Amino acid sequence: MLFLQNARIASENSPVLLESDVLIVEGIIQDIGSNLAIPKGARVIDARGRVLMPAMFDAHVHFRAPGFENKETITTGSEAAINGGITGVVMMPNTRPALDSATSVATVLDNAKRKARIPVYTSGCVTKDRQGKELAEIEGMRTLGVKMLTDDGDTTSDPAVLLRAMQYATEFGMFFASHCEVPELAGPRALNEGVMSYRLGIKGSPTCAEEIIIDRDIRLARAAGAHVHIQHVSSKLGMETIRWWKSRGDVKVTAEVAPHHLMFTDEHIGDYDTNYKMNPPLRTQADCDALLEGLIEGVFDLIATDHAPHTPFEKAQDFVTAPNGITGLDTALVSLYHHFVEPGKFGWDLVVKRYSAEPRRLMGLPVPTIEVGQQAECVLFDTEAETTFTREFMKSKSQNTPFIDQTLKGRVDLVILGPEILLER
Amino acid sequence: MARKDLLDIASLHREEIEFLLDQSTSFKKLFTRSVKKIPALEGKSVLMLFYEASTRTHSSFEVAAKRLSAEVTNFDVDHSSITKGESVRETIETLQAMRTDYIVVRHGHSGLPGMIARQTTASVINAGDGAHEHPTQALLDAFTIKEKFPDPRGKKVLIIGDILHSRVARSTSTLLQKLGVEVAYLGPGSLVPKYGPATIPRFTDYQAAMAWTPDIVYLLRVQMERQDVQFFPNVREYHRVYGITNSRLAEIRDRGLYIMHPGPVNRGVELCDAVMDYERSLITNQVENGISIRMAVLDWLTPGGNFRGRNRMPRGSEPTQR
Repeated sequence: MLFLQNARIASENSPVLLESDVLIVEGIIQDIGSNLAIPKGARVIDARGRVLMPAMFDAHVHFRAPGFENKETITTGSEAAINGGITGVVMMPNTRPALDSATSVATVLDNAKRKARIPVYTSGCVTKDRQGKELAEIEGMRTLGVKMLTDDGDTTSDPAVLLRAMQYATEFGMFFASHCEVPELAGPRALNEGVMSYRLGIKGSPTCAEEIIIDRDIRLARAAGAHVHIQHVSSKLGMETIRWWKSRGDVKVTAEVAPHHLMFTDEHIGDYDTNYKMNPPLRTQADCDALLEGLIEGVFDLIATDHAPHTPFEKAQDFVTAPNGITGLDTALVSLYHHFVEPGKFGWDLVVKRYSAEPRRLMGLPVPTIEVGQQAECVLFDTEAETTFTREFMKSKSQNTPFIDQTLKGRVDLVILGPEILLER
Repeated sequence: MARKDLLDIASLHREEIEFLLDQSTSFKKLFTRSVKKIPALEGKSVLMLFYEASTRTHSSFEVAAKRLSAEVTNFDVDHSSITKGESVRETIETLQAMRTDYIVVRHGHSGLPGMIARQTTASVINAGDGAHEHPTQALLDAFTIKEKFPDPRGKKVLIIGDILHSRVARSTSTLLQKLGVEVAYLGPGSLVPKYGPATIPRFTDYQAAMAWTPDIVYLLRVQMERQDVQFFPNVREYHRVYGITNSRLAEIRDRGLYIMHPGPVNRGVELCDAVMDYERSLITNQVENGISIRMAVLDWLTPGGNFRGRNRMPRGSEPTQR
């Protein structure tokens, strides 16, 4: 029995934080109200000044297993999620072997059940081994609960293949997630084409490499009557393309934005810092501003980190050689608070809506709320405390993040999932 | 504080550049002596780490180091463990263990010399990294220009060709601007990036560029090896539109312009054969000046300093950082 006293409760429906006591009994929220009587035997936590919110859900993570367990495992990845206030994730299928069959998906889900303290879902490939040629074992994966299909970092280049996949899989209630990039335009170096790429002497990726596929995949979804989810949008015109298609209302489109694309620009790369090397690349301040506008407006349904662990050895290589991607789970909620909520750019209601409720709706999962009768799936967040992201703090096996050794405002104090306290600081 | 490394031109401040050019003048005077060697770097070791092919830069550094009495080791990339899959980082760790004093590095990846510099105690000299920088080329270009124009302020240099892939264009234009020289780019629209510095005019039309009245035309080698897609239809068309043809050479001669090129020259592409006999071609001067510039750089980076004049090394404001 857990009694949270004087917590400020956040919900997706109201910008106002109501101060209440919350009683949780055997993982179920039993009572909410002011000055509730403390039941005998309850453990009391003084939550005054702290925010209690539904726990986050990340619909875009790389847990690297099977195949790259030196970077991350399902255990370490899920612990990083808990560390950041996240109680559910969707893995991307770019493992080795790729998750393109019922067999490979079954292995991952079995591992997840045994090794993770939170639900770990996975997406499946559109095509075999993400090669963009033959369709993956789509129905077989569906029987195991896979809903999201994506070839992840390798955009399905042949539009005919993707269209057929959409026509086929939509019948099974599945949807498509698109990493939007024309590889011939983007090049391999994950740097925005612009002043910075010129200065650093590295081939840049123009935003049109992203815009073209955003538009293409939405058009294909429209033709197939499919649902397409646009992943980690990085550019202003990419956002505006989605906005335009959504305004038409004749195709089902959802979209996500990653925290790092809201916070950083290509200028942060400075002297070839590989912790800022990611794909799609960091762009300009104008792009960041547009993405924030799109998030607040609802062009982006959800926030997702694209948590992409790589070993220190890999990231310590030169910028051209180092792999793309940064970790995001340990730092996600605190960094969003520090950069946006605390300065008043958006409220807790947006965080809850875009990072807790909508990602679960995308996956067809129940949405946790702080209401009587609901399972407790929540986070207690201290807005006054600070978090220093030391290597020891991180639970991810890799620490390739720009936030390493930075101190940001805010701290995840408590993560509750049903009867279990997953984390307590 | 003296610098440990020379990685780029962008972070050098003007006083440092002027100092190196002055030192180069002093070193060049040694070349006319019967004994060209001085003991400035006696007991020091220089490792030549060239991952990309090079004739001029490699031999120029080697000659420069030997004239300063340093021991030179050529790291043979083709016969090293790199061919067995050893990463650059592992190579660096090996080299660090050898306690070499200098590493002169050329690599196809931008930023790699900086990475080596951070991981070793050796002084690292960037001898060309990707399309990023080639600082000693820029210094020798400036030195060559100053031999013709002792006060180059206000002079105009038109850099022609593959700007997009050229580390020479980046370094040389940055340095010349620091010396008050005006720079403009000319080349195909696909090879002259619109993201270059706003202070550099960008031409795609030869006549318009010549109307800008340059004092020097600086031709760049067309780097076919760096072009992953076709940037122009063929070299014949390139020569016709952007090359120094016989008729353009006549115009250049009439105007009394100097011609420069970092080499190696693609004959019949950037330049017609007749340029080899052009009296105002500075191409061989550039090669010769490469040695004295590199002597100046090696000496400059030596802890404690050796060559006379070192103590005149300017102090003052921190170098401009990017």
